[in-house]
This record gives sequence, structure tokens and C-alpha cells, in this order.
Amino acid sequence: MSVYAEFTLHDLLHNSAERYPDKAAIVDGDSKHTYEDLSRQSGALCAALQDSGVEKGDRVGVYMEKSWEAIVAMLAASRAGAAFVNLNPMFKPPQVRYVTEDCDIRVMIGDSGKLADLEPKTVERAFYRGDRPDSGGVTGELTDLDEILKNDNSPREVRQVSEVDLGTILYTSGSTGMPKGVSTSQRNLVVGAQIVSTYLENTEEDRILSALPLNFDAGLNQFTTSLWVGATLALQRSRLPGDLLKGLRRHEITGVAGVPPLWSLLLRSAKSVEAEPLTHLRYISNTGGRIPQANLDELRRLLEPTGTRIYLMYGLTEAFRSTYLPPGEIHRGTECIGKAIPDTEIMVINKQGEECAPGEIGELVHRGPTVAMGYWGKEEATRKAYRPNPLAPPELLDVEKVVYSGDNVRRDEEGFLYFIGREDAMIKSQGYRMSPEEVENLLIGSGFVHEACAFGIPDPDLGHQVVAVVSLKSDGQEGAIDEIREYAVNNGPPYMVPKEILIQDELPKTGSGKIDRKGISNAYADR
Amino acid sequence: MAVSTENVVAEIRGWLQENVTGNRDVSEDEQLIEKGVLTSLQTVELVMFMEDRFDIVVEDEELNEETFASVRTIADLVTSKTG
Repeated sequence: MSVYAEFTLHDLLHNSAERYPDKAAIVDGDSKHTYEDLSRQSGALCAALQDSGVEKGDRVGVYMEKSWEAIVAMLAASRAGAAFVNLNPMFKPPQVRYVTEDCDIRVMIGDSGKLADLEPKTVERAFYRGDRPDSGGVTGELTDLDEILKNDNSPREVRQVSEVDLGTILYTSGSTGMPKGVSTSQRNLVVGAQIVSTYLENTEEDRILSALPLNFDAGLNQFTTSLWVGATLALQRSRLPGDLLKGLRRHEITGVAGVPPLWSLLLRSAKSVEAEPLTHLRYISNTGGRIPQANLDELRRLLEPTGTRIYLMYGLTEAFRSTYLPPGEIHRGTECIGKAIPDTEIMVINKQGEECAPGEIGELVHRGPTVAMGYWGKEEATRKAYRPNPLAPPELLDVEKVVYSGDNVRRDEEGFLYFIGREDAMIKSQGYRMSPEEVENLLIGSGFVHEACAFGIPDPDLGHQVVAVVSLKSDGQEGAIDEIREYAVNNGPPYMVPKEILIQDELPKTGSGKIDRKGISNAYADR
Repeated sequence: MAVSTENVVAEIRGWLQENVTGNRDVSEDEQLIEKGVLTSLQTVELVMFMEDRFDIVVEDEELNEETFASVRTIADLVTSKTG
């Protein structure tokens, strides 16, 4: 047995395949796939990617429902020294076009139906899962993924893939503009897996339920963690309460990560859980927002008596994961985000760039090995979020970058951090981040809207409810709202479609002539 | 309360148009979950509407992707309860 030091995602695969060749790595519906399968099939796909011209440093898109093939695709790209880019399967063709252009994806591994729907000339080359699609948005050759995965081809040697190479790009929305690609190194991926599994105490005995999307850092982290410890990852696509419960029971799940709306869904099954407790469930972890206190109390009541521990986590894609609240401290309330994850320092910095005193509110600043490389192709935004360590001695110059989160927090006397909020207009709904402009652009794209103003209204289950106030291009258009809604549903992911669209003759402006988002959202809240 | 299948289908399609798809009509066999027309949270909202409108109770286990695959399968669930 040869176990290597682990520097890259595929080093993690190598070691788990050496240690546990016959163990189930991935459970996808009724099929189980071993670590050996994962090694062989990702090797075969890697060879095919190389044959199709993928070289070290290229970006490979993965646009499919969460599946065995999606897992294989990530590892195949990594073995080729390429960065994989997981596209949200809820994305519609315009969002896919945006991402493929933004980071220059030429090769896409995707579901047939999704590839067929793409806008013309979206990618050059594709590997499809399912029936052969019409050429759709693919200009060049289309290859059947299933055929590739059956062969035994091995990858060619590539130039050394190092831990400082780009491993993946995670697209995430900020408070303004279009989504940005967080360039995440191989080291970020590996260290993220090691750090999180340290405090969740993951072992090869774990059976982890993957209920979060793989394009989301916490969802991806569950996979990398499972890969590192040699656990079994069960892929869960449907988040409907009945399906979630079935997944938890059928695979005797020991750990699951979720976002607040997922727990609301699970809690609908409270009666069934009471009648038949989830005795295998060792832990649950929450990320992506604050769980409403009532839901947390209910989860504790249902799960703690049978030994399930509840971890509240906080992370931002720009630094993968930042803090967690150990289960024994959960009484501190849902605003508490705990302390820094291992090997990480969390600073609270005030407007003067100094460390805050206990109780003083400042910005959460993250320092450590999960700090990503920056935003792909966005120099100014990168300079704003990734800055020199404010507390480093000047002799170290500014070689080390830390992440400014944009989230306001305070630290108590004992060192626990509490989330206060954000000052910007970022919307977070159903666990997804989006900027108001993304929603506004989607509505304006319908052709009916003159000006749009989108904002989030706090909602205990969703995080925010998306609301938009629009003015129309021409007056008195009967049924314009239905037309706009139809367009938005067809051209945007469901979480981006406003729950409510209101029409106003003209949108109020600020002194500088910009749409007065704050005024409009306050007026809506007061109505 | 006995309700006709046609009636249930019409009510569900009406709810979908009003709350999800806007102008676009949803056919009886369109795959709602698989094609991403309905998110899980919207599905729960639809369940709350159905429970209220048809005076039924949908059990946790019934809230799954097979039963909520399409307007037709959802209507079958409702009529099996209102009989």
C-alpha cells in the first residue's frame, strides 16, 4: 500500500482507493460505486479530456444534476490538472453562457437535456450523459460519457499538479453586479476537507448525505471530506420532506449538512422522526444563514435525545469555511457563529483597520489556509475583498492575503463571535446568494420592464423573500406581471424569480439619480 | 368532500400559474420536480394550499418526488383522499 502526502484533490482519491478499494464511495439511487470504480472511471474520463485537448490550467464545466458522473467529472478534471467548474443545475442557458464566457470554459460535461437547451455556441466540446443531444449550444464534437466511463484508458502524465494550482472555480453572488468566480486552489480544497472533518470527527465509518448542491462550497466540502476520510457519500437530489427522510433512513446516514430551508423541510417530518428516531445520525451541520430559533429548538428536541450533535457553521465561499459553534455551546443562541475553525484566525476589524474590543461591532476578517486565490478575472473586486493582513508586522510586507467578509460581527469576552448582519443589499434566499442587479437584469430581459428594483425581505424560512418593484416600458399593459413572471421562470433559476412583482409608474431616485433601493424596500416593508 | 379530478387539475394548474410560472400554462404531464419547475419550498407551499382548499392532510411520506412529479400525479393524490 502506498499512501502519499496529500496536496491535491486527486491525492485524496489515490489514498482512499489504496486504503478502501472495495468500499462504497458514492451511492447514487440504487447504484453503489467503490473507490476503485472512482479511480478507474475518473482515469478514463481524464484520458478522454486530454484527447479532446484539455491541458493543465484549463477550465472544464460540469453542468448536470448531482450524480455519480458529476463526481467522476470533478476528479477527472483534477487529474488532468484542469480546474472543474460546477454549474448550478438550476441555471438556465443565459446563466450558463455568462459563466462559460467569464472563465472561458470550452469543454463541458453535462446532462443531454441541459446541453441541448444551451444558447448557440456556448461551448466547443461536450461529453453528454443520456441520449445523444442535438448539437444545441455545442459547436464541436459530442461524446457519449457512458461509453468513455466503460473503457480502461489511463491518463497521460501531466506537468506536476501542485497544491498552489487552481482546483476549482466556485461561482457566487456578491452584493452587486453579476456572479463572481472564486478561484479555489487545490490546497484550499484539501485543507478545507481536513479542517472540517477534524471538528466533525469524520471517519471511514461515516455515511454522509449530500443534500446540498455541489456548486456550493459547503456541498462540495461534504464530498471532499468524504473522499479524504474514505467515507460513503449518498447523493440526495430531492429535498422534499418524504424523500429526505427516506434517504436518511435507507442509507443509515451518520452526518448531513444543510442550510436553514432544508431543516424547515425536514421538520415537516417531525412526527415520523418522533415515532422512529434517526438513531444512526451522529451529527447535522447548518451553514448558509441563521436557523430560526424555533426550528433549532425543534431540531434539538427531536435529534439530541438519540445522540445527534448539532453544529452551527459559518463560511463564505471566498474562504471556504470560517467558524463553527461546537454542539456543547448551542445554548448561546442562533446569532452565535462560534469560533474559528482549526488552523484559522478570525479577526474583527473596525473601520479604522484595528482589532475591535470585546462587544464592539466590526467586519469579520478571515486568515488561514482556506483563503482562496481571488475572483477569476476581476482584479478590482479581488483587491477589495482580498487584502493584506491588517495585523501583520510590516516586515512581512503584504505577501499574505486575508478575506474581508462584508459581514458585521462582534466578539464576546469569551471569544465567541456573533453575527450582526450586512450593510449592503445582498439577497440570500433558499440558501442562494444573489445581488439585486441579477434579479433586476432578469426582469428587464423580459422586454416589458423599463426600470427594476429588487430587494430581500427577511423571511424566517427562506432567509429573504425576493421582491421587485418595476416600472413598465409602456402604460396599461394588461397582464404584464404574468408575462414578466413567465420570462423570469424560463430564463432564470427558480430562487431568483421574485415572489412578488409590483408595478409603479416611476421608481424613486436618490440625489445622485440612482434608483433608491433603500427607500423603495423600506416603503414596501412599511406598507 | 368529493371533488372531480378535472376540478382538482384546474385548481392546481391555476395555483402554479399564479404562484410560479406566470403566463405560461403548465400541462398535466409536465415534470415539475425533475425539470426544476417547482423548488422543494414551493412544493410545500402547494401542499399547504391543497390541504386548505381540499380539506385534506398530506402525510410527510407522501411529500416525495414520485407523488409530486406532475399535475396529474398530484391530482391523483388529492382525489384518493377526497374520494
